[in-house]
Amino acid sequence: MALRLQRFVVEHARSLVAYCAVAALWTAASLAITGFGAYAHLRYIVELAAVIGLVGIGQTIAVIGGGIDLSVSSVITVTAIVLPILSFGPDTTGVAAIALSLTVAAAIGAVNGLGIGYIGLPPLIMTLAMATILQGLLVLIAGGSAISASNPVLDWLGSAHVLTISVSIIMWAIVAGLCLFWLHGTRSGSLVFAIGTNPEVSRLSGVPIQLLTVAIYVVSGFCSGLAGLLLLSMNGQGYVGIGDPYLLSSIAAVVLGGTSILGGRGSYLGTIAGSVLLVTMTALITVVNASEGWRSVILGCLILGMLPLSGRDQSR
Amino acid sequence: MRGEGTRLYWRIQRRRNEGLGALFLVLALFATIYAILFPGILSVGAMAKFVQGWFPTAMVAAAETIVMLTGGIDLSVGPMVSLGSVVAASTMQGPLGISGGVLAVLALGAVVGAIVGWFVAVNRYPAIIVTLALSFVLRGVALLILPRPGGFVPPSLSDFLAGSRPTAAVLLVLLVILWKLYQATPLGTGLIAAGDNAEGAYRSGVGVTIARMCAYLASGVLQALTGLYVAAQTGSGDPIIGEPMTLAAIAAAVLGGVGFLGGRGAMRGALAGSLLMSILINVMFFMDLPLVAQYVVQGLIIVGTVALPLIRASWRRGL
Amino acid sequence: MVVQQAVLGARNLSKAFFGNPVLRDVSIDLVPGRIHALLGENGAGKSTLINLLSGALAPDSGQILVDGQPVAALSPREAHRLGVAVVQQELSLAPHLSIAENIGLGAYDRRGGLIDYGGLAVAAKEIGGELGLVESPDTPVGRLPLGRRQIVEIAKALFIKPRVLIFDEPTSSLAAPDVVMLMGLVRRLRDQGVAILYISHRLNEIIDFCDYVTVLKDGAITADRPMAGLDPNGLVRLMVGRDPQNLFPPYASHATEDLVLETRNFRTAAAHGVDFELRRGEILGIGGLVGHGQEDFMTGLYGAVAADADQFRVLADGGAARTTPFANVAEANAMGVAYVPADRRKEGLLLPHSIDFNLLLPLFARHGAQHRRRADESAITERLAQRLNIRGDRSRPVQALSGGNQQKVAVSKWLPLEPSVLLLNDPTRGVDVETKREIYIALRAMAAEGKAVVLLTTDTPELVHLCDRVIVFHKGWVAAALAHAEASEEAIVAAAMGVRAAPTLQGAPH
Repeated sequence: MALRLQRFVVEHARSLVAYCAVAALWTAASLAITGFGAYAHLRYIVELAAVIGLVGIGQTIAVIGGGIDLSVSSVITVTAIVLPILSFGPDTTGVAAIALSLTVAAAIGAVNGLGIGYIGLPPLIMTLAMATILQGLLVLIAGGSAISASNPVLDWLGSAHVLTISVSIIMWAIVAGLCLFWLHGTRSGSLVFAIGTNPEVSRLSGVPIQLLTVAIYVVSGFCSGLAGLLLLSMNGQGYVGIGDPYLLSSIAAVVLGGTSILGGRGSYLGTIAGSVLLVTMTALITVVNASEGWRSVILGCLILGMLPLSGRDQSR
Repeated sequence: MRGEGTRLYWRIQRRRNEGLGALFLVLALFATIYAILFPGILSVGAMAKFVQGWFPTAMVAAAETIVMLTGGIDLSVGPMVSLGSVVAASTMQGPLGISGGVLAVLALGAVVGAIVGWFVAVNRYPAIIVTLALSFVLRGVALLILPRPGGFVPPSLSDFLAGSRPTAAVLLVLLVILWKLYQATPLGTGLIAAGDNAEGAYRSGVGVTIARMCAYLASGVLQALTGLYVAAQTGSGDPIIGEPMTLAAIAAAVLGGVGFLGGRGAMRGALAGSLLMSILINVMFFMDLPLVAQYVVQGLIIVGTVALPLIRASWRRGL
Repeated sequence: MVVQQAVLGARNLSKAFFGNPVLRDVSIDLVPGRIHALLGENGAGKSTLINLLSGALAPDSGQILVDGQPVAALSPREAHRLGVAVVQQELSLAPHLSIAENIGLGAYDRRGGLIDYGGLAVAAKEIGGELGLVESPDTPVGRLPLGRRQIVEIAKALFIKPRVLIFDEPTSSLAAPDVVMLMGLVRRLRDQGVAILYISHRLNEIIDFCDYVTVLKDGAITADRPMAGLDPNGLVRLMVGRDPQNLFPPYASHATEDLVLETRNFRTAAAHGVDFELRRGEILGIGGLVGHGQEDFMTGLYGAVAADADQFRVLADGGAARTTPFANVAEANAMGVAYVPADRRKEGLLLPHSIDFNLLLPLFARHGAQHRRRADESAITERLAQRLNIRGDRSRPVQALSGGNQQKVAVSKWLPLEPSVLLLNDPTRGVDVETKREIYIALRAMAAEGKAVVLLTTDTPELVHLCDRVIVFHKGWVAAALAHAEASEEAIVAAAMGVRAAPTLQGAPH
């Protein structure tokens, strides 16, 4: 048992650093700022982190698998805009609209996966192009206006609590649990690490790379869709650009959580801490200065500063 | 002996057109169609205006190409252009006037290029992540300097760069000449060798790190100057004006046959690619398609031009 | 002969990768006007020594001397300046640059800051003429076939007018007339006083041609002496450390009559019209010079590259007969076919991952829809490690293992799938002698269990001493099929060179 614990610590050292940082930051901020340490406030932080955390699931898996998903922000926006459009009369519970928009999100991921896995497009290009195409289409569909949604399930998702824990946090916990189980508890999940480390070795070892790549980006699309729904439930309205901040924050959460940007190493466990850390820091920055410019600068610098932890290219 | 060298040089240059024939053909076709649809374009004034519309895309395509030839990529082109325009518009009021503004923009380009180069060329962090993170820093800085479009660009400068004179065309010719000269230096050839076979180039005594560093420096300066030009065009600085240019730059380069793994491609291809896109956008504009449709088209161009050869190769592999 | 001072020398060099010593306390002297052979098996440390001498790597300890003076921090650039040129085995060319630009790369003469294309044109013509490089100097190197690129690589080394010239297996992909040309050139350079270090696997070539020899075995020097008085067997003894015959287990055939795999007119991009039969319990050798289609044939059989056939039948345990080759690797695995690649670092193993994970990878890939049960997994890897004698903590990354132990992992990871056909591509490349012997014994044992083993190798003695049958490729076609008794080194080499003398086993080729 002691040996297993020791292995766990060694394997997840970088993730643990992120958890320690969260703990330290929360403690310091609670002492320094009145009200920061209140249960409701910390819960609020975790609620906000849930959106990044959900996007981060897909991003973590894509990065571990040796890729990257630059279309997450567009997928978020797509769901946040498509859902209100899809809400129609007979669907009183709103479940059908949710299922449909999540299907759209997963389908976008599937297209990404097909382009990357079967045609062989670089993930950067495929997902970047997908993001641009979606952005164009969204403006054509929705124009510049915000679209409000009235969806009972969504309203419940955005406001309800179970035993004082927000439903959104519970949803995040469940999906996170599933993701962790897939990555670390199943054989197909371990294959994600294999293809991220060396696709050629994996191929010659019989790993179905193409299928697995599609699966990775479907999961990423689906999780971004979930995040889009959650964001919509918090905001009440969907508009073009609603997902934009989540591209870099999802990558930042992955990097902060200690997953190697070069693929093959890491864990979603770290990304969870990374998401919370990110939201906490943003909250603290906002206390000092609320300007969007500063937030952008600090977020960017944060990632650049974290790069030494995330591994570098060995080839010359 | 001198004649022999010149002959060799031009023969090598000619060989670099290989694989670009189809692009040049399509370009000629579109240009002809465009000239038939809008015969007014053939006047000097209209031509100058057209080149001005094309110029920023051409510049960022060139900037992206330099980086991609080394095997890197730059995702911060758009925010860099925005920041360039903001810096230009907020320094020209200073005591040094226009020259002060130009100096500030050049310094900006060099500093940012050096930062990217330090991360990517010296410390070998992945270019994707470095430039993505940097794009947020640059966007933030631009917003901090000018939260809203504003600042001041002397009308004389606007008139000189984007007036009725064909200054942009002259600048493009200048760009091509400078690039040709750079390519004819050991450093310029080293840039392609570094992208082609980095380990081999290093073993051959090529300063791979220096070649890459210079590429990022040159790219940064070109991007910042694009910002200056855009500011002159609009008469003000705008913290988000460059946003669409990241993708436009990559699309033009890819369309022009520049490869993602480095070494493959030529500047002339990227410039032709940017011209083709510029014509397409103009046509779409005249067809009353919404401006955002160009996003869709750019995305499709990128995926299409990268995917087609891959699909063709996989067919050929299938015997 | 008066011993001159060495232009380039090394004193007590040591170098280790990931804790594995690759070179131990190696000293060498390169003297002007001498052709110095560097010999050793794959993995003995030759490439590392060259990389140290040319500044591409820095030694962990020891010194490099130029003209007797120690140089601190030698870089490739500095080595060039001091007149050290290397003809690399893994070519140092930029495929998108022209021949002329490649020849001068890293050492251009300038004229007003620009590359002196005039000088380049003259040099390209002059050196190209000497080397028989008839292609126009503006041709992009990527357009040339491998053998011609090798010539450009040599021209590039000559461009800097070196005082020391190091050849790393220069003849491995050269056509015969080019080899003769190269020999003449190297002798001329020696007579001009250039110090030459020459690495080759062709022992006869070396004995005819070199004046002095240094032999490396497992990273240490076992001989450093004039060539006079050495014969090929003597050289092999120095390289291998024992008589070549004793390396192999005594020959015993376990071949049966049961077909497991049969193809008619099997073809890939580089292999043509192969009729192929494989039987249970048989070790079938595949020989040929590098790049004559045999690798393509093997990866095609495995479904890793596109292939086609008039007939393709797999009769493995329970497997049904079929007509088309495997479409992908997963299908080959499902039909009991496994493949061990030649380049284990790039194709065989996930270097940063644990021994355990590497051993389990094919199993996970084959049966991916299951949960992980750590206890079961641990039992499986424990058994594998015991069977192939892999000692130590199995949670270590495989890159921390020696080449030999890495190869054991690369082979044994397939055993949980219980393959009926094992395709091995040069399994003893870069492996120490003891492990080689262990691998030979393991292959024999697998054949005895009734597996069919296909052994593609560049090491002709393996074909002679280990295989029940040998097929030899030449220019993509099977040039000869030899039974064990007929498979002498001479017959195999003759067939590989395209000399039609060998009798065929399976009737006349088409």
